Amino acid sequence: MSHACKTDTLIDRAHMLRSARNFFFEKGVVEVDTPLLSHAAPVDAHIDVMSLSFKDGSKGYLHTSPEYAMKRLLAQGMKDIYQLSHVYREEEIGPLHNPEFTMVEWYRLGIDLLQMIEETEDFIRLFPGDLPTEKITYREALIKYANLDYISASTHEIHECAGSHGLVLSKEAAHWDKDTLLQALMSFIVEPHLGENTLTTIYQFPASQAALAKTATINNETVASRFEIYYKGIELANGYHELTNASEQRRRFNESNQKRVLLGKEQLKIDENLLAALEQGLPDCCGVAVGFDRLMLLRHDKKTLAEILPFSWHNA
Amino acid sequence: MAQVGTSDLKSGFKVEVEGEPYTVVGNEFVKPGKGQPFNRIKLKHLVTGRVVEKTFKSGEKVDIADVEENKMRMLYKESDGAIFMDDKSYDQISIPLKIIGDKEQWLMEEVLYDVVFYKGVAIDVNPPTFMEIKIVETAPGVRGDTASGRVLKPAILETGAKVQVPIFIEEGEKIKVDTRTCEYVSRV
Repeated sequence: MSHACKTDTLIDRAHMLRSARNFFFEKGVVEVDTPLLSHAAPVDAHIDVMSLSFKDGSKGYLHTSPEYAMKRLLAQGMKDIYQLSHVYREEEIGPLHNPEFTMVEWYRLGIDLLQMIEETEDFIRLFPGDLPTEKITYREALIKYANLDYISASTHEIHECAGSHGLVLSKEAAHWDKDTLLQALMSFIVEPHLGENTLTTIYQFPASQAALAKTATINNETVASRFEIYYKGIELANGYHELTNASEQRRRFNESNQKRVLLGKEQLKIDENLLAALEQGLPDCCGVAVGFDRLMLLRHDKKTLAEILPFSWHNA
Repeated sequence: MAQVGTSDLKSGFKVEVEGEPYTVVGNEFVKPGKGQPFNRIKLKHLVTGRVVEKTFKSGEKVDIADVEENKMRMLYKESDGAIFMDDKSYDQISIPLKIIGDKEQWLMEEVLYDVVFYKGVAIDVNPPTFMEIKIVETAPGVRGDTASGRVLKPAILETGAKVQVPIFIEEGEKIKVDTRTCEYVSRV
């Protein structure tokens, strides 16, 4: 890539950072800048946090998203808030992954998940332009693109489904749980179809993939009030109707820690500050995180984050 | 056996998957924001050359294949194989023609080849990228038609390889060929 071309991309990046801030300013959503460095790490089975050591031997953790700190601000009485922040995730390196990346995260009080989806679509459309949108549930997407109804499917049927779509899994996959198998189908069979010409929202995730979302029972099926938005097969946003129940949150943290042990990873200290905030009372709210760098990549019709970042990890 | 995590596999690594030896030719990292990351690994079978794609959980371990390469000199061909010698140890081995496969067309006495061993058994023989070989058969050159330069004719080399050569090249001449593409490079 020529230097002139990269210069234009970076000038446009500055322009889009400003557009993002304007988007929230016009809606009265307040910018916050919470610490990147905290005493406790986010506990997620599949997200690896980076830590640093202080001279006295104590540890600090770089945030993987500003979620916990922003929720604490909500519990303290802040209302609609957003943050534009660099976040850090170990071992995430690839054309669409950089261990340090820019995330836009925001929370809205008293709106439902569908309104949150619409606002997120509006935000995303600042970047690649005025795209049409579509919404499809997780269940419908698997039926449509993989011909599998995950509710009733056995792990044996999921293996058959993978095979019939040319997805060859490792021998170990015989021992994978249903959730892992479903995620493989989503990643390799469904996602490549998502958002070919539209912004596509997947919503109503399996309750087992709720993360920090509330669950709801719809047509006798328990689903997570969670959504993801895709364009050209690339995941751009992940949003929740946020879980506000502290004891349920503690249970999910413990569950994530158990999964970490099974994956041979260290257990992480639970963020008691967050749980205390939830106990004090998190208002009913929806939240979403959007990958800013991926939006820039799509806006400039590039294939790798390295082409739109000032410096990607390999030469930072 | 040494192992490596699927996230650390790079192109060129030799691995053993389900008892078969492969070269890694691609590794695609697929990581949802929340959820299980995967590595989709493209593997080329070391013996058959067949390419397969397999999806692993990131961090799953695979065995490093017991593969080594050794430069060996071809001494002579037999009816069903060829004899190679290690210049350092003077060890000689016979490699069956069915292992050598279509590389047989590049076998020439006194040339050094890369012999690939898997668990101590030769599984592949790779010729040098460029070789200088005599033409044993080709139609006579046509004068006056050399200006276009792109006009080619078939020729057979003394090793048996069939290549396309420029029309001005004569039988008995030695040429330099690219063994990867079977293409004529230059006159020697």
